[in-house]
Amino acid sequence: MKDSQAFDHRPDPELGAALRAALEPKDDQKAFVVRIMAQYERALDRATIPTLDVLASWFRPGIAAAAAALIAGFLLGRTVLTPAPASIDAAMAPLEGPGLAALVTAQDPPDASVVFTSLVDQR
Amino acid sequence: MGSSEEDKGLVAKTLAGERDAFGILVERYAAQARRVARAVLGDPDDADDAAQDGFLSALVKLAQYDTRRPFGPWLMRIVANAATDRRRRRNVRQAEPLDPALVGGGPRPDTAAIRSELGARLRTALGELSERRRTAVVLFDVEGYSHAEIAGILGIPEGTVRSEVFHARRRLRTLLADWKEQAP
Repeated sequence: MKDSQAFDHRPDPELGAALRAALEPKDDQKAFVVRIMAQYERALDRATIPTLDVLASWFRPGIAAAAAALIAGFLLGRTVLTPAPASIDAAMAPLEGPGLAALVTAQDPPDASVVFTSLVDQR
Repeated sequence: MGSSEEDKGLVAKTLAGERDAFGILVERYAAQARRVARAVLGDPDDADDAAQDGFLSALVKLAQYDTRRPFGPWLMRIVANAATDRRRRRNVRQAEPLDPALVGGGPRPDTAAIRSELGARLRTALGELSERRRTAVVLFDVEGYSHAEIAGILGIPEGTVRSEVFHARRRLRTLLADWKEQAP
């Protein structure tokens, strides 16, 4: 046999007939059809009942959503319950007199003696 | 086998709940599905179980069938997959060793026995090919599907299908030619 025959793009009737005869079921085809049709309703019923796989596929996103909600709740609760940090203005506000705020906002650099005096006064 | 348009009509009726329409589809494709499953599995009983799995799986998935495409290749893909799954699950035994009397061209009492002997040889030869190769050659030379359709059924490139059919044919045609030389 030549290889060019094997590359033929058309079906080979002789080989096809021989293979068909070799693979052909020996029994009555009708019995096979009846056998399948006997399973018809059951197959459709099975298809409508969620299988464990389907339930499992629902379960995984459910767990993920619950975890996300838990984390979001925790973060929200922490934000609400934690007191806000003091503002920079409050931190710099003098107990009495002009104090630090006056030094920081001054046009000219402060005299060192004034700074030390201010600090000592605050103590 | 019915036309593609008839198949689509039967699919639509089945989806509408007409049981008999599915019965006609099964009648049309039963022989083909059994042959394809047997090409994959070798054993005829396993093949019938796989063909049944394929038909019932197709029934359940029928709403997913794209009616712009022919029904046969879609169904055969499901059947071939069902057969492959069954082979993997059950680790189906390989083809039995060839009887030495058959290899040596023993006595041939009548035509039926000769045909039976040729069939046994071909089945054995098919069993020696890879699953993909034997399925490809059966789909091409027995069932008449195109290379492109077989590529879709087996989920492999069309060029690979051509190669698989080529190698399978070379082996099977050699066997067939030897047989014809020996025949009385």
